[in-house]
Amino acid sequence: MNYSQPYWNPILETLPPETLRALQLKKFQRIFRWAYTHSKFHRALYQAAGVAPEDIRTLDDIRRVPTVEKSMMRQIQGKDPYPYGDALCVPLEEVSVYRQTSGTTGQPVYQPDTWQDWEWWAECWCYILWAQGYRPSDRVFIPFGYNVFVAFWAGHYAAEKLGCEVVPGGVLDTKARILKVQELRATALMGTPTYILSMAETARLKMGIDPSRLSVNKITCAGECGASIPSTKRRLEEAWGANVYDHAGATEIGAWSYECAAQPGGLHVNEAMFLVEIIDPETGQTIEEAGRRGKMVITAFDRQAQPCVRFDSKDVIEWAAEPCACGRSFRLIRGGVVGRADDITKVKGVLIAPSAIEEVVRGIKGLGDEYEVVVDKTGDTETIRLRVELLPEAQDQCAWIQSELEDQLRLKTNLRYDLEICGCGSLPRYEVKAKRFKDLRGKKSE
Amino acid sequence: MQSTIDMDDLHRNIQSARKAVEELKRLGEDFPAVARNAERMLASLKMLEINVSDVIEMEGIDPGDS
Repeated sequence: MNYSQPYWNPILETLPPETLRALQLKKFQRIFRWAYTHSKFHRALYQAAGVAPEDIRTLDDIRRVPTVEKSMMRQIQGKDPYPYGDALCVPLEEVSVYRQTSGTTGQPVYQPDTWQDWEWWAECWCYILWAQGYRPSDRVFIPFGYNVFVAFWAGHYAAEKLGCEVVPGGVLDTKARILKVQELRATALMGTPTYILSMAETARLKMGIDPSRLSVNKITCAGECGASIPSTKRRLEEAWGANVYDHAGATEIGAWSYECAAQPGGLHVNEAMFLVEIIDPETGQTIEEAGRRGKMVITAFDRQAQPCVRFDSKDVIEWAAEPCACGRSFRLIRGGVVGRADDITKVKGVLIAPSAIEEVVRGIKGLGDEYEVVVDKTGDTETIRLRVELLPEAQDQCAWIQSELEDQLRLKTNLRYDLEICGCGSLPRYEVKAKRFKDLRGKKSE
Repeated sequence: MQSTIDMDDLHRNIQSARKAVEELKRLGEDFPAVARNAERMLASLKMLEINVSDVIEMEGIDPGDS
């Protein structure tokens, strides 16, 4: 087998755009018909909108199909066929895997998968890992708490599928995981940016181990947008002496995007497996041009037990202007997932994405990796408080750092902050997804 | 590199593999070890179809036409 082949699928990943669009239409027609035929929930939704499978003849026709939101999935669940409800498209006995969303935005959503769906999850991840240079010679350490959240489960199976040796770092604490990485000379890691940074901090400050001197040469991050935020990626790569790659996916969707080895400053959408539409939240129109942000509406073409058809993910993304140097024809989204529509909020009349604050904080040497943003309102006055940690070696530069932080924040986010500079280790640490942005406006009575 | 890949040949072999595994599954109706392993093989075959056959089966489109 040719391990220097850069593409997991040398045909699909380089299809001419017009062929790719034709394939997407065919595959959309197939999954739409599947959902319409097998799911009471989807059929009722589509009948109410007056759209049926035979109405989908062009890609433009797809816009007639109503979107599905997470809140709708929450409403149908907990009923028969228990616990998934009417969106289940297969007999219960064909469901072989249960997962649920992390609950970051509310009540978790249940996700049933058949064995074929699970193969498909791993297949999507194979595109990711192969593009990021994973090969059978790799020993991949996965430091996550294997549980009901899908997180890196599919990454685990995909790494096995493409021939890597996989070390499940489940029920180990951070120190034990670092020692295992060291002992086994693991070459690759998977984790959230928050946790991979936290591992490096623990190794350095609590164990006297320099992670950049370990044998890890590549890290795949997911779960948060950090690995596509330049200053966070830089910190991760410097800390571990490794290439750090981003990937975005979701429990209800699948593993829909990946950064390739060329590190183009964005993520390829796997357009052979997914249809990504970017929708202007104000007008509802589809955005095709580069550089205009909108929310993602996505379809997974081959997922059957609980289909994902025009799912309104609330992820905020934009198309990149240029194709990637890697030669893939799968389009790029610039800067990865910029944020969630729910998180991008107006403060003092200015739109702000938490990722913009992260880019500033982690771009300043002398500040730790952690930060916390609290938006509040007293009377008619809105405030935004930013808490950061000063590293011990930067104590004598505190005034300069504060001034630099104020300037950069004003420049990049157009807002003035109440800054609080804390001691190292005083802010919360997270093992999976961090919750660093708190909006207390309207929540005083809770 | 693409020119060395014969998609039609791959597709034909996937189809005949599917036929063989579906037959195995049928024959294993009273033989769980055969039926369940055949079921898993069908899931893997579906991945081959996603990777190869879907694009071949599109009428009038040549995937190598790039």
